[in-house]
Amino acid sequence: MAQVQCVPQRGGDEIGFTNYGQDVAAMKSDKPSLRLAASATPNNIGSLDDNARFAQVVMPYIDDAYRLAHWLTGNSSDAEDVVQDASLRAFRAIRGYAGGSARAWLLSIVRNTAYSWLRKNRPTAVVTVDDLEAIELMQANPGDPDLETPETTLLAQIDAERLRAAIATLPAPFRETLVLRDIEGLDYREIAQTTEVPIGTVMSRLARARHRLTVTLGGKSHD
Amino acid sequence: MTSSTSDDNSVLLVHAYLDGELDPANALEIAQRIRTDPALAAEGERVKALQQLIRERLPREVAPPGLRARIEASVGGQRRVSERPSWRALAASIALTAVVASSSTWLLIGPPPESTTADSLVSDHIRALMAPQPIDVASSDRHTVKPWFNGRIPESPRVVDLAKQDFPLVGGRLDVVGRDPCPTLVYRHEKHLISLTEMPAGSGLDLARTPRTINGYNVVHWTDNGVSYWAISDLAASKLEDFARLFRTSPAES
Repeated sequence: MAQVQCVPQRGGDEIGFTNYGQDVAAMKSDKPSLRLAASATPNNIGSLDDNARFAQVVMPYIDDAYRLAHWLTGNSSDAEDVVQDASLRAFRAIRGYAGGSARAWLLSIVRNTAYSWLRKNRPTAVVTVDDLEAIELMQANPGDPDLETPETTLLAQIDAERLRAAIATLPAPFRETLVLRDIEGLDYREIAQTTEVPIGTVMSRLARARHRLTVTLGGKSHD
Repeated sequence: MTSSTSDDNSVLLVHAYLDGELDPANALEIAQRIRTDPALAAEGERVKALQQLIRERLPREVAPPGLRARIEASVGGQRRVSERPSWRALAASIALTAVVASSSTWLLIGPPPESTTADSLVSDHIRALMAPQPIDVASSDRHTVKPWFNGRIPESPRVVDLAKQDFPLVGGRLDVVGRDPCPTLVYRHEKHLISLTEMPAGSGLDLARTPRTINGYNVVHWTDNGVSYWAISDLAASKLEDFARLFRTSPAES
């Protein structure tokens, strides 16, 4: 059941294959087999000096880094600080990048930087994983038809500001998973790498995030 | 739980299916179950509606202008610390100061009036679009395009076949930047042309203050193995970045 196929997807926009050994081992065996996209590895990364590595591994993904930092911190000036700090950390750690998705590698550094920044500057805003378990337990099954979910036609009328606000109020672990998938377009494996959780957790968080978002958007408008 | 078929796991599978993460066998199975289970079908519709909403309504933000320059400046500072002081380090620090000074000036007063590499290349792109033929050698075959450059410039450019990824090669031409002829490849995506120019990586000054758009044309710039690349197109920025990523990660011609 848990065999894993390594095939390029989304029109082959990512090329090159890396070794999935550790990820496959980390996946729960009762989870369905996933089609895992291969991630691009910059050419000849081993032979480059630190600055050239940085230019190949980090610089192409500054926009992605900034967007994630913006969603995690909630404002643009904090996001800039976080990305700048994270870039410096990435530069110091650039020798540790051993191939695989460069974007996921950078985004995991951005994420960690953002959370340490939040812990330091806004300790009340950080949801710990323990809190999250409680939230997940209280959360009803996402597929439960008894829960009030809006019609899809209603969703189509939501404006950008309300959508943004609804995503911003998701608890951080749900928010980051949704942002990485539905805004940044990362595949499950890259999200697992970025958020440092198993793919099974990515799947359940994503389903819950989408469900919460749909319910929030379908609820009574506050304006 | 009203339906015995739409358990928790099936719901996750619907999401994974719509995200293109299932292998063909599982995809087939869940597609079948979506057809027969209204609860799963409704979940699928909600996911699709939400994804469409996010894709269409949410503005795709980009890093503010100047952030890249600040990052490169701070990383340049790191390099300086690790090197032994020498005339090289001194020169680097002067260059760094120039980068910092020029990029912050650019933030204050807008783009510098003098012609930059990017400006020059955008002009070349526009001129090429207005010409009867945007290219000097018209061929979708990289084995024709690459040799064409051979007789004209010392080193022919890296040519990559991206036809399968929907960026077919159209041809090539020579652009002149400053006084140097630079090979330019022309790719097409749908009805948009992309000019991709190669030149030896220079001082890095241009990189620090490269605008992302000039006259409505998107500019993507990167450096690989000592060669500087400039992609210019009226294609959406994200698509142009996809193109850049594909070009960088695809193997060159055999």
